[in-house]
Amino acid sequence: MSPTHSGSQEEFVPASQTELSRFMTDNTAAAQKQIFPVGGRTSLSVCCPASQSGTLICTSQLNRVIDYPVRDMTITVEAGMRLDQLNEIVSAEGQRLPIDVPQSNRATVGGVIATNTCGPRRFSYGTIRDYVIGISAIDGKGNLFKSGGRVVKNVAGYDLSKMLVGSLGTLAVISQVSLNLRPKPETMSMVWFAFDSFQNADRALEAIVTSGTRPTAVEYCNSKAARQIAAESRSELPSEHQVVCVCFEGPANVVNWQADQIREEWKTFSPLSSQIVGAEKATKLYNAFTEYQTSSDDPVTLKAVLLPSQMMKFVEAASQLNIAVQAHAADGIVFGHLPDSASSLEDVQQILQQLQKAISPQTGHLTIYQCESEWAESLPLFCSAPSGWALMQQLKNALDPDQLLNAQRFSELVEA
Amino acid sequence: MVDSTNQTITQEAPPLDELKSGSPPFTSLVQQLTQVVGQANILYNADELLVYECDGYIVDKSAPDIVIFPTSTEQVSKIVKLCNQFNVPFLARGAGTSLSGGCLPIGGGVMIVLTKMKQILEINLRDRYAIVEPGMVNLHLTNALKGTGYHYAPDPSSQGSCTIGGNIATNSGGPHTLKYGVTTNHVLGLEAVLPDGSIIELGGPTAETPGYDLHGLYVGNEGTFGICTKAIVRITRDPESHRTMLAVFQTIADATRAISAIIAAGIIPSALEMMDHGIIQAVEEAFHFGFPLDAGAVLLIEVDGLEIALDEEVRQILEICESCNVREIQRADTPEERQLIWKSRKQAFGAIGRLSPSYCTQDGVVPRTRLPEILEFIEATSKKYNMRIVNVFHAGDGNVHPILLFDERDQEQIQKVLEASEEILEKCLELGGSVTGEHGIGVEKINFMSRIFNETDLDTMETVRDIFNPRQICSRDKVLPQHQSDEKAGVVQSHPARRAPH
Repeated sequence: MSPTHSGSQEEFVPASQTELSRFMTDNTAAAQKQIFPVGGRTSLSVCCPASQSGTLICTSQLNRVIDYPVRDMTITVEAGMRLDQLNEIVSAEGQRLPIDVPQSNRATVGGVIATNTCGPRRFSYGTIRDYVIGISAIDGKGNLFKSGGRVVKNVAGYDLSKMLVGSLGTLAVISQVSLNLRPKPETMSMVWFAFDSFQNADRALEAIVTSGTRPTAVEYCNSKAARQIAAESRSELPSEHQVVCVCFEGPANVVNWQADQIREEWKTFSPLSSQIVGAEKATKLYNAFTEYQTSSDDPVTLKAVLLPSQMMKFVEAASQLNIAVQAHAADGIVFGHLPDSASSLEDVQQILQQLQKAISPQTGHLTIYQCESEWAESLPLFCSAPSGWALMQQLKNALDPDQLLNAQRFSELVEA
Repeated sequence: MVDSTNQTITQEAPPLDELKSGSPPFTSLVQQLTQVVGQANILYNADELLVYECDGYIVDKSAPDIVIFPTSTEQVSKIVKLCNQFNVPFLARGAGTSLSGGCLPIGGGVMIVLTKMKQILEINLRDRYAIVEPGMVNLHLTNALKGTGYHYAPDPSSQGSCTIGGNIATNSGGPHTLKYGVTTNHVLGLEAVLPDGSIIELGGPTAETPGYDLHGLYVGNEGTFGICTKAIVRITRDPESHRTMLAVFQTIADATRAISAIIAAGIIPSALEMMDHGIIQAVEEAFHFGFPLDAGAVLLIEVDGLEIALDEEVRQILEICESCNVREIQRADTPEERQLIWKSRKQAFGAIGRLSPSYCTQDGVVPRTRLPEILEFIEATSKKYNMRIVNVFHAGDGNVHPILLFDERDQEQIQKVLEASEEILEKCLELGGSVTGEHGIGVEKINFMSRIFNETDLDTMETVRDIFNPRQICSRDKVLPQHQSDEKAGVVQSHPARRAPH
């Protein structure tokens, strides 16, 4: 994937949020340069912003722990802290932030919030929006504002953190965050099942609703994606078939009981084979599932968010178009890497049209998650207009009246 | 229409005087509203309106001029448009269980009561959501889900009467939010009538929707962003099993040490509630559960999950309690016993009526580890003001609910309540906490906003509110102080002659 910010760009690396705020204020007053906030630069291609000249604001020096009251299970950090660094600190205390993030050695807390990045574990733990209890950010005018606080329960004032989660740096630059943490589980394991029909895989996924187990993640991949994930993780996935992996976490006896239980329950759906994967190999496989959304060199990655009950219809359509598909299946979130044969813009547009037929506005939506920057302006980034679009525009205009913050990422939405 | 002379709010208000009861504009508004909802769904006689002059926060009172009961989103939209046309303020009300004056109709106006919009529109187990109207009583959704293996997780203590629309307005919590999260974690989308009368959908039943998370921003707006007319909520798997215990401690200090130690051990109970000596006595007197009357504090501890996991969790909890000098532990071995224990907790507020003619429930939050300090401070405050204060609260979240007992007939006592509450909440802030964990700012705590947030923070919140509610005609004078420099922007009693019954 080619880098996105390829225009003529300078870089500013603030040492504090005050310094950042001052820079933003000055920029609004005078230079009016386009601002591109960047954390670990792992998601610059996400949602396909077009290349543009301006200033990169790099949060790499905003990486300190502000406060970590261990027994309260909360932590306040600067937004440029890397996920691995955060997890290393809290892991020493038997805690964790249960959000799966690709390239977690580079991705930053602020970046994860701005992109609302998540992975397989969202089925049981939710996303970063559920863990942010306080936030500070600097809007397009240079105003440093905060909402929330450092306690796990707090409804004083409006929850502005929700507004910033997933806003792609278009409303403000996130500078500091307070997070709720969870205990680290004792162990994990995974059970994979191979299916030769979409129908059987779907019936098994439906049975999660009433299973006696409580999975932490339920991942699906078609055979093409299974081959790639198996190679990446050096795991023995049945790469000629569709695969559903069910993951469990907790005390060892509880995890083992659930692994046996799900195999027993799913016999009725005629899996071709199944296997329990122990903690060490399961971790590798799990990481491959987490990384898959950004791992491809293919020119276009799609993201579809569907009702789980409607997901398999989309997956079947995508598979017939030779798209490698991975899904956080119990949440209906699908990532698809287009095949090499989709080498022209016209090919991609044709595929999109066909996939769109498998989605109704009531049951889901399709987005271009990543693509070659030269195609970004031509592809329908969001294939259906978001509800509340007028309010979103007003929000953008109020917090960034000069349209300086990642403006093109947001304006791409308008074209929907 | 409204005598605004006894309001301390100085914000520019619509010209209400033109709409005094019996005036031609008032009569015209009533006629047009009646056409929208029918005669049976509108009240405007003074004696009928008194019921709506306050919510669970009884220190301030202000009656609306018209109360209206719509039965559909379209009706709500038409009502709101009429209010705009007549330049009359309006606000939504559910069951009126707000404890911070969120339903207080400052300056009068039209109160839109949503209790007749209470249908379940859809339950989808496979996709784990339900769509409900805002007047749906919280517990009724869980009751409707019984037998499906699912429930609606947010469970405020008032869940038997509070509405889901009200829960969304205040981002309510409850005992089980320690493990399952507060309302915002369970709202996938919503439909709302904006303050200009337009109807909008935010979010949706899928796990994500494109663009900004406006439904997340909407939750907890305390009615100032418009009127929620439909909610898409996540439904949660029932745990396979529970273990519920009452741990009796001689002192509050021992109980709070146990709370902190349980969380620190990596155990997240589904509930961890504390009742102090005062509340134990009130509950025992009212319901005769058999609580030891000489105990300093009782912890209600519940863990849930897979049956295979629970005994070990219970063993660890018992060990921790033992190390914190627990006096005895009572276990609920049957569903009936569990229900009884929970009844004691959820009806604790009802038992307060036996202790005092009036009470004011506070809603401070401190980091869990600072609970001993805030409880000591509350005790000292009780002595300082010679006022009885009892405590029943969500200890696992650090969310304290000191209940200040007083007599509303005595103006001096009211003043003491306000001062004592203020000192307790100030202390919560000093300890790194907040002044509200689940009740909201409402009108009660509006003067704290400028102490929690600086001018830029409040400006940003105001900017966001004005996008939804530019004329501030909807639920005005709530959440944000009118002028940030104002030391106090509350309301005085609009009806000082009214007193609580004996």
